[in-house]
Amino acid sequence: MELEFFLQQLITGLSNGMIIALIAIGYTMVYGIIELINFAHGDLFMLGSFLALTILGALGMDAWAGGGTWGGVLLLLLSCAVFCAGLNWTIERVAYRPLRASGKLSLLVSAIGASFILVNLGLFWGGLPMDVFAGGVAAAAPKDFPPLVPNTNLLGADSLVQLTPKDLLVVGVTLPLMLALTWIVTRTRLGKAMRATAQNPIAARLMGIDTDRVIGATFLIGGALGGFASVIYALYNNTISFQMGYRAGMDAFTAAVLGGIGSMPGAVAGAIVIGLVRAMSDGYLETRWTNTIVFGILVLILIFRPSGLLGSRAKEKV
Amino acid sequence: MRARVNPILIFFAVAAALPMFFGATGLFYDAFQSIFVFALVGLGLNIITGFTGMLNLGMAAFMAIGAYGFAILTCDIYPFQVGFWWGLLLSGAIGALAGFLLGAPTLGLSGDYLAIVTMGFGEITLDVLKNLEVITKGTQGINPLPRPTIGGWTIELQDERSWYYLLLLILAVAVLLVRRLERSRTGRAWLSIREDALASQCMGIPPKRTRMIAFATGSAVAAIGGALFAALLSSTGEPNSYDFQVSILALCIIIVGGMGSIAGTLVGAVVMVGMNAIVLVKLADWFGSREQSSSSNVLASPNNWKYLIFGLALILVVRLKPEGLLPPRLEGGTPALPPDASKPKSGVSIGGGGA
Amino acid sequence: MSLLEVRDITMRFGGLTAVDGVTFDVRQGEILAVIGPNGAGKTTLFNAITGVYEPTQGSVKFRGSQVRRNPDLQLVVRAALVGILGAITTFVALNVQEIWTAAIEANYLLDTPFPWSKALRDGWSTARAVPLAWGVVPAVVGGMLGAATVLALWQRLRRTPDLIARAGLARTFQNIRLFTDLSLIENVLVGMDSRLKCGYWTNVLRLPAFMRERSQSAAEAMELLAFVGLADRAHAAAGSLPYGHRRRLEIARALASQPAVLLLDEPAAGMNPSEVTSLMQLIRRVRDRGVTVILIEHHMKLVMGISDRIVVLQYGRKIGEGTPQEIQADRRCIEAYLGAEDGL
Repeated sequence: MELEFFLQQLITGLSNGMIIALIAIGYTMVYGIIELINFAHGDLFMLGSFLALTILGALGMDAWAGGGTWGGVLLLLLSCAVFCAGLNWTIERVAYRPLRASGKLSLLVSAIGASFILVNLGLFWGGLPMDVFAGGVAAAAPKDFPPLVPNTNLLGADSLVQLTPKDLLVVGVTLPLMLALTWIVTRTRLGKAMRATAQNPIAARLMGIDTDRVIGATFLIGGALGGFASVIYALYNNTISFQMGYRAGMDAFTAAVLGGIGSMPGAVAGAIVIGLVRAMSDGYLETRWTNTIVFGILVLILIFRPSGLLGSRAKEKV
Repeated sequence: MRARVNPILIFFAVAAALPMFFGATGLFYDAFQSIFVFALVGLGLNIITGFTGMLNLGMAAFMAIGAYGFAILTCDIYPFQVGFWWGLLLSGAIGALAGFLLGAPTLGLSGDYLAIVTMGFGEITLDVLKNLEVITKGTQGINPLPRPTIGGWTIELQDERSWYYLLLLILAVAVLLVRRLERSRTGRAWLSIREDALASQCMGIPPKRTRMIAFATGSAVAAIGGALFAALLSSTGEPNSYDFQVSILALCIIIVGGMGSIAGTLVGAVVMVGMNAIVLVKLADWFGSREQSSSSNVLASPNNWKYLIFGLALILVVRLKPEGLLPPRLEGGTPALPPDASKPKSGVSIGGGGA
Repeated sequence: MSLLEVRDITMRFGGLTAVDGVTFDVRQGEILAVIGPNGAGKTTLFNAITGVYEPTQGSVKFRGSQVRRNPDLQLVVRAALVGILGAITTFVALNVQEIWTAAIEANYLLDTPFPWSKALRDGWSTARAVPLAWGVVPAVVGGMLGAATVLALWQRLRRTPDLIARAGLARTFQNIRLFTDLSLIENVLVGMDSRLKCGYWTNVLRLPAFMRERSQSAAEAMELLAFVGLADRAHAAAGSLPYGHRRRLEIARALASQPAVLLLDEPAAGMNPSEVTSLMQLIRRVRDRGVTVILIEHHMKLVMGISDRIVVLQYGRKIGEGTPQEIQADRRCIEAYLGAEDGL
């Protein structure tokens, strides 16, 4: 019993950690390249899941719930990825690019502003008079997300440890994405340009790299990952709310910092740690203290290792 | 210095005169009482972020600490019952202590990280308030809270005009003291750290200590604001009254008003809180009146517009008027909003000829 | 005895050795110039002397002793206090609900006076009844806090710039670093900070001591601004000053602490000939106030015109030291600075 319980928390923690990792990569990429905590990223993720629910409602797909409609899942994944990528790119164009020369604090404030606008859009979106949004009566209430992916236990119905197709979905989506991303960053021209821009934007521009385009591409990729994450999050947890971006964003950002912001393997490692800590705290301590524990860990890590677990910090040049 | 009337004095003169001209309606008093409370919170944040350049995204936590500290010390469900004035002072002290405890280990962190730590502190504070129901009474909040007495005369809750002047007076005292600090050695050290931390350290100013004093002072002022917030309601309200939105409201106040400017903070509070209390209500009414089923219409509740308004305010001010409505006083100074903007990025700095 | 003894200073950044075993003395009341080609390590040397960087090796002695806080018993006591307090706080925080219920809730009845001593006893006995296992967490947290305090205090033992400034070494920066949003006089007053004594509460309450110090320090600041020729703009923002004047303000700000040594990092950079001439006069007048001056400069007319002695650096090493005449006669120094063929 003890062991099974532990294994169960392990599986839950890993699955949640993988989802957080996808969001965390979006934070860490943007921070790596323009040193901005992109506050709006978590809320972008939230809007992605609202889009997914809207598509389901519009196509009447909620009727297929429980049927294992992998084609529908693929459609959702792709459309939300495109949507979030485009939205992220637009936010960068409108709210960040004009301010890039005017200091980090201005950028950060602008990002907080963008985040709040997205939250409000999510709130209004939840008020749409559609059946999937409960007719828009209580806009702020959490929305049920139809269980497109079945919740059957793959280890047999009487096994005490649950391993469901949902868990496989999470792994099946996140792992290939991370591998693809690693390939992009380390092997392609774009990846090289991204790393160059991250190290020294001025030198990169002098070398003929169109840094604006590279930064735009970074936001596109980060946004797309957020879009994928939004769909698997919704499918995994079956409930979405306009406030979840804040919470998920904090988790993901904590993960990014934990692993050393700017480092992609760090973000993934940090996210898995956070997922596990959450699951273990939920299981062995009390759920209501989980957030406190996560933030407490964040604060402690920043105090003792300001550059994160895997991060390296450039010394301020004087 | 330019010869012009001090905008702070204008603010207090107008505020003192207003109730005589306005019909003493409830909406007016409600709006201005919260304007004064949030002006105090903004004043505290202005010390931390505006003067000293440390971005604090957890101001609501210090407000909450002040409110709950005040409530626990004064409410008659607990044995302490120190009375309104002692409660107010002690809540300020508790706020300062909390600021000190959070600041001691974290003020060495650089900008963004400090912002995240303060934000995390805000979350932790909320969770603690929600979870320690034995002490904080959870979502009910602690109530009732005592009313202030001045020489045997008690200001009742319904006596809105007296509350108005009481809050105005407390705000005036706080502004006076903060201004004195700003114009003294202490305040100059804060400003110099914001302007250029390294140069300031090379002038003999210990950075960490100076930051800590600023952080504790700002937290104390915000905590007093929180205590008054609770006193006005005669209840701490539920813990969610001190969520991230409130921290951002405080940030909006100083950014819209003008970072590092006391007068700006006052104006920012009028604009932001006034917008909250009046414009949003009207906007929501208008949307509500266009449709019959106003109860279900998401656009018809003023609360549902807050995020949008705050977000737009932040983005537009940063884009169009980064120095705020009433920037700090000096002629020829650079805008105060990005304290780090006037300096070269870390890559290109004084060591140019060195390594 | 020398005022400042720089001994074997080495500064490494990763694999790069920016300053390599530089040794020289500075005598009371002289003007010493440090020259060398770009990249010779002059500014890095300045940063090592003023505590901006901790030197990889070597020492800087000022008036015969190294400027640093000394480790003492206080450090241990403070760390222990923080650790113990941290442990107690954590313990209380973890068990606050039980203690609060036993001490406050259970004893508080509306009509009787609150039994404070009984509440204390009840709280104490509840705390003692907590199983030992729960004591482990606070002990660990307390230990960590204590260790962190030792670490933090230990770091403060190093030669930090503020400590060195307070000891009497003031500096200016190569890329002028003024407080641009503050007025000229406020810039000077920040420089004077180490000499001001009024504390926080004196300032808040405007006690008589504050008023006295304020008028006195303002007068001194004005005097310094007049000394560098900027008194007429005392209340303008420093950011509004033209470039040449900024250097002067930086010097006034540095002088405000009444330093024994003033380090100037390329004060003539970007100045036209007439400005350089008046800068030379200013530096001489600074020296005449009794301040020892160390300067980094490329402007040879200025260096040769006012220095008592010159130290020449190349690739981080000292390759020459002597009077201007000696340096001008030294082949190695000429080659280092001007290339092999041409003389000065």
